Amino acid sequence: GSNVKMASPKTVPKDAQVMIQILKDMGITEYEPRVINQMLEFTYRYVTTIIEDAKIYATHAKKNIVDADDIRLAIQCRMDQSFTSPPPRDFLLDVARQKNQTPLPLIKPYTGPRLPPDRYCLTAPNYRLKSIQKKVSSSAGRITVPRLSIGAVSSRPSTPTLGTPSVQSVTTKVGTPVSLSGQRFSVQIPSSQTAASKSSTPSTPMVQNVLINPSLIGSKKILITTNMVSQNSASESLKRKHEDDDDYDAL
Amino acid sequence: MAAVQDGQLNLEVEKDIKTEITNDGSGNINANSSSPGSTSSGGKSKSPAGSGEDQQTLLAVLQFLKRNKLTESVDILRREAGLSADADDSPVSESAGAGSGGVPSVGADGGDANSLLSRVSIATPVAPPATAPPKVVAASGGEDQPDVNVVLSAYSQQGDPVLYPLYYNGLKKFIESVLDCHRAELSQVFYPLFVHMYLELVYNNHENEAKQFFEKFSGDQECYYEEDLRILSSMSKKEHMKGNETMLDFRTSKFVLRISRDSYQLLKRHLQERQNNQIWNIIQEHLYIDIFDGMPRSKSQIDAMSGSLAGEGKRDANKAKVFYGLLKEPEIEVPLDDEDEEAENEEGKPKKKKPKKDSMGSKSKKQDPNAPQQTRIPLPELKDSDKLDKIMNMKEATKKIRLGPDNLPSICFYSFLNAYQGLTAVDFTDDSSLIAGGFADSTVRVWSVTPKKLRRVKSAADLSNIDKESDDVLERIMDEKTASESKILYGHSGPVYGISFSPDRNYLLSSSEDGTVRLWSLQTFTCLVGYKGHNYPVWDTQFSPYGYYFISGGHDRVARLWATDHYQPLRMFAGHLADITCTLFHPNSNYVATGSADRTIRLWDVLTGNCVRILTGHKGPIHSLAFSPNGKFMASGATDGRVLLWDVGHGLMVGELKGHTDTIYALKFSRDGEILASGSMDNTVKLWDTLKAFDDVELDDFTAATGHIHLPENSQELLLGTYMTKSTPVIHLHFTRRNLLLAAGAYNP
Repeated sequence: GSNVKMASPKTVPKDAQVMIQILKDMGITEYEPRVINQMLEFTYRYVTTIIEDAKIYATHAKKNIVDADDIRLAIQCRMDQSFTSPPPRDFLLDVARQKNQTPLPLIKPYTGPRLPPDRYCLTAPNYRLKSIQKKVSSSAGRITVPRLSIGAVSSRPSTPTLGTPSVQSVTTKVGTPVSLSGQRFSVQIPSSQTAASKSSTPSTPMVQNVLINPSLIGSKKILITTNMVSQNSASESLKRKHEDDDDYDAL
Repeated sequence: MAAVQDGQLNLEVEKDIKTEITNDGSGNINANSSSPGSTSSGGKSKSPAGSGEDQQTLLAVLQFLKRNKLTESVDILRREAGLSADADDSPVSESAGAGSGGVPSVGADGGDANSLLSRVSIATPVAPPATAPPKVVAASGGEDQPDVNVVLSAYSQQGDPVLYPLYYNGLKKFIESVLDCHRAELSQVFYPLFVHMYLELVYNNHENEAKQFFEKFSGDQECYYEEDLRILSSMSKKEHMKGNETMLDFRTSKFVLRISRDSYQLLKRHLQERQNNQIWNIIQEHLYIDIFDGMPRSKSQIDAMSGSLAGEGKRDANKAKVFYGLLKEPEIEVPLDDEDEEAENEEGKPKKKKPKKDSMGSKSKKQDPNAPQQTRIPLPELKDSDKLDKIMNMKEATKKIRLGPDNLPSICFYSFLNAYQGLTAVDFTDDSSLIAGGFADSTVRVWSVTPKKLRRVKSAADLSNIDKESDDVLERIMDEKTASESKILYGHSGPVYGISFSPDRNYLLSSSEDGTVRLWSLQTFTCLVGYKGHNYPVWDTQFSPYGYYFISGGHDRVARLWATDHYQPLRMFAGHLADITCTLFHPNSNYVATGSADRTIRLWDVLTGNCVRILTGHKGPIHSLAFSPNGKFMASGATDGRVLLWDVGHGLMVGELKGHTDTIYALKFSRDGEILASGSMDNTVKLWDTLKAFDDVELDDFTAATGHIHLPENSQELLLGTYMTKSTPVIHLHFTRRNLLLAAGAYNP
């Protein structure tokens, strides 16, 4: 609810009195007392902005004093900038007529979620992963995508997770079961190399997250992810967690 | 096409303002097509016309000489031309009209030498092609808004400003002296005349005269124009006029009056026989008099229909055929279920003796003549999930309670607590399983109404882990860990004013003060698309009943039709004079209704974008709309506290429900259309008997032709119940599939 608490005129400063009168003239009868303060603040800010602008224009025109023309120009410029009004009606009618002439497009069947092309959507990831360049070893070219299948993991999870032992970066410190309980480790492979390597996973190259069958390593899950851009937030949150952990050395 | 394109009547050609007075057949009124300014001089008064133009030139030359300090030449010219010493101070003189004869009116306005000179200099290249006299062209001294200038230049000085009150008074006296039956109709002229005269005075910088004129006559106007008059009173200078889009639109569009032929003849005779042509000129330029044959209307009839910013709707505007019928429901095989004892064959006819609902499974295969073709607009095909939904819908429909005056619905109210006056929009899904609220802090929150929690789809990492072959894979893809009662959606940068669920419950739309409409996925609870197009607050948005399309309307006075897979709108519905506050699809998705702050409701055709109906009668901005389930009728609620009922097919007002004392923000018809529920800022929900309201309407040929309904004063009989909330304004209403009424509002102690 809104109630008008009119302070007695004696205690109200003159500015506020003027503002109250303006509100009354404009037909606004119910308002919270904070409105007067907000309006006064706005007025002060607006007027000072205009006057400052006018001063700049007067200086530009090499005049000593600021006169009405400068003020007028200042108001005009601010009006075009902050207080724009919607386009005029005839313009809108014109645009509408043009737009309404094209027939409604046919709807293609069976296309899944009907969304605009990707660049007009907000579905793209808004992050990019930092690649750990300094860990790239000389055998960078021979890195293969981790070939993980359920049966491929042996009892030494550190190396079988990767195609070649020379792959750098994070491997799991699986050796110490204690440290692994409940933890997740990520292997980071620079995306440029991944593209070159053959993917052994039958799925598309985009699928890089493979889960090792937990039964092989007890209760530990090892999540191998690559540095490819992926579309989900859960895995990337994992990646981000360990991006700074540069102390995982290749074994 | 009888569609109304207001733009065709106004400044298509920049300098040409056509003034027309048309009638409905007999052509004893000539259509005046003349250019602005010279209307008066060229049209009516003959003798001073020639010298008027010369006067202008003389004055211009005089000014030029003065400026260049050729004082002797100035004196000589003055002597020879016989001009008085102070006659050259008036740059704007149209020596027109009887009042001033050949003497240029001495308006003590701000027209100094500069502006006159600029006018003169610019005039010369333009004068030959345009028929406008010089002053019209560069009316305000060369600003770079030609549209505004041309619009404003419609206010050429048409006479001595001091005489305006006299003219107005004269007309007032005349109208008071006519027969009673004509008086009500002719009194309609007062308001537009007053506004246009006032604005003319303001435009020509006669500030004092304008103020006096306003004080003297503003009290005479109808009470429902009070808001507009207040805005007018704040505009006392020309600069004020430029900033106000609504007033500018008021200028270019013609105020429509509907007057019977007899009354019109009276008026015309009176104005033409006296030398009082100022008013006649204004009427010709700014008013559109829609003449009809028949009895003059009574005051109450006029009052019911008037109130909008631009007068009433022309009869032509409401002549287009509107396909208000519903689209045929697709035939769906309902699988036999052990629990439900109903079986339907392919036609949709139930075998058991269940009460049959009209909207489901129409028996006739013939096309309803009032329904649009199935393929009139492209609609998305039904997916399997949609078919399942429809089956659920039909099953629930069989459990629907039949409502009526003796069987009122139960009302379940959802109060938003701790919203701190921030709740700005609410929507329910059709099956009433989810509520969404839009808030002033720019968040959108979704709650689950049922005990079932809201679940997100799992992340891609987890998704690859699930067994894709299992039967309940659709359950498995949901993430249990983050299941919650409510989800918050962040993304907007301004208060969220409109919310709409998609019919398949996959998407949620929200429109906000930041000018965008956002599409959210209810599977992942993230934002998918931001549709940019309005650059001003978008006050309302709504999904089509079939999904895929949605509309939005906002401060820029344009409603847009979008499809979810196009980043630009498909249709733009322009024509309103003020903000569009409310948008609604017709149940057959072929038409869109928009309610606006200019106090009219317009119905637009999705296929062509044309406005097919203009409905006037509200006295305040319209905030809620509702279509009856059979598509024939529409209800609208506004700040004036009245609910108006409309017949969509004829474009006529068929009912008026008085009772609320404050703005009506929610209107909903029950599932079969027997009851209309209205929720208002006065903290009440009222139920109205619509069967009775629509039965009582007699639409004979006369009323259909002229649009004059005599509305019975039966609001009290139609009111079935008033339910008060505890200081909670009602901002949304929703009937569940079983005809339980849900209401929502924010507790506001």
